Amino acid sequence: MNHESTKVPKPAISHLIWWFLFANGGGLAALVLPVHILVQGVLGPLGVVHVVDRNYDTWIGILGNPIVKLYLLGLISLAFFHFAHRLRYFLVDLGVPAARTFPVQLIFYGGAVVVTAVTIWVLVTTAPISFG
Amino acid sequence: MTEGDEAEASTGATPRVYKPEMPRGWWLRRRHYLLYMVREFTAVPMALWLLWLLAEIHRAASGPKAYYPAASPAFIVFSVICLGFAMYHSITFLSLAGVIIHLKFMGKPVPPRTIVGAMFGLWLVASVVIAAVLIGFAR
Repeated sequence: MNHESTKVPKPAISHLIWWFLFANGGGLAALVLPVHILVQGVLGPLGVVHVVDRNYDTWIGILGNPIVKLYLLGLISLAFFHFAHRLRYFLVDLGVPAARTFPVQLIFYGGAVVVTAVTIWVLVTTAPISFG
Repeated sequence: MTEGDEAEASTGATPRVYKPEMPRGWWLRRRHYLLYMVREFTAVPMALWLLWLLAEIHRAASGPKAYYPAASPAFIVFSVICLGFAMYHSITFLSLAGVIIHLKFMGKPVPPRTIVGAMFGLWLVASVVIAAVLIGFAR
């Protein structure tokens, strides 16, 4: 599965990098994403528990924490490299061989780079860094 | 591939590439194939939910008066659907750790079952810690 067909055998360095990001993004998302969705997407809006993002003061407070900023950047950025890799091969499996080509790689992995840049911008501009 | 073909490939001549023919809708033919494609598809709802999270962070930038947390029934339904896909991703991805990760302890290979068990334990611990932070810092 997922082997690049090259005319001359050579180490697939770029594939290694994308696969490393894919595996780590997938692993981190596997460990932490369900609880975020459950607490922030279901229990909080239903009012079952008080959640930090339901109130402006607590939300902006926790978003100012540099460790939280780094965590959110790592989660969102790595997850999108995972999604880019997985969706590209999802298209291959659906019978779109063009998904293997360089322009499509540029769109998908470039998209993950763009999401990373936007995430950095959002995290830097949303709440001033504070340890409070 | 015959021995002759292999020799030809190793001497630098253009090897013939095997191109499997995949009929349209092949993944609907067996439950196993369908579940594989569902697993690959989990990336889409997970990406959408993380984009929502990014928007929720960004909305806090416009100040206390403009900030309102999402609470519509549509958002909750969206989250429940995303949660299902995210759980399926977690279960399939963490189960694969037993195939991918090879460790030795005291000179003996750690059985895959132990590695998978450790990953599921880590999932539980991470979930408890994150829920504690999300709920504990709320007022």
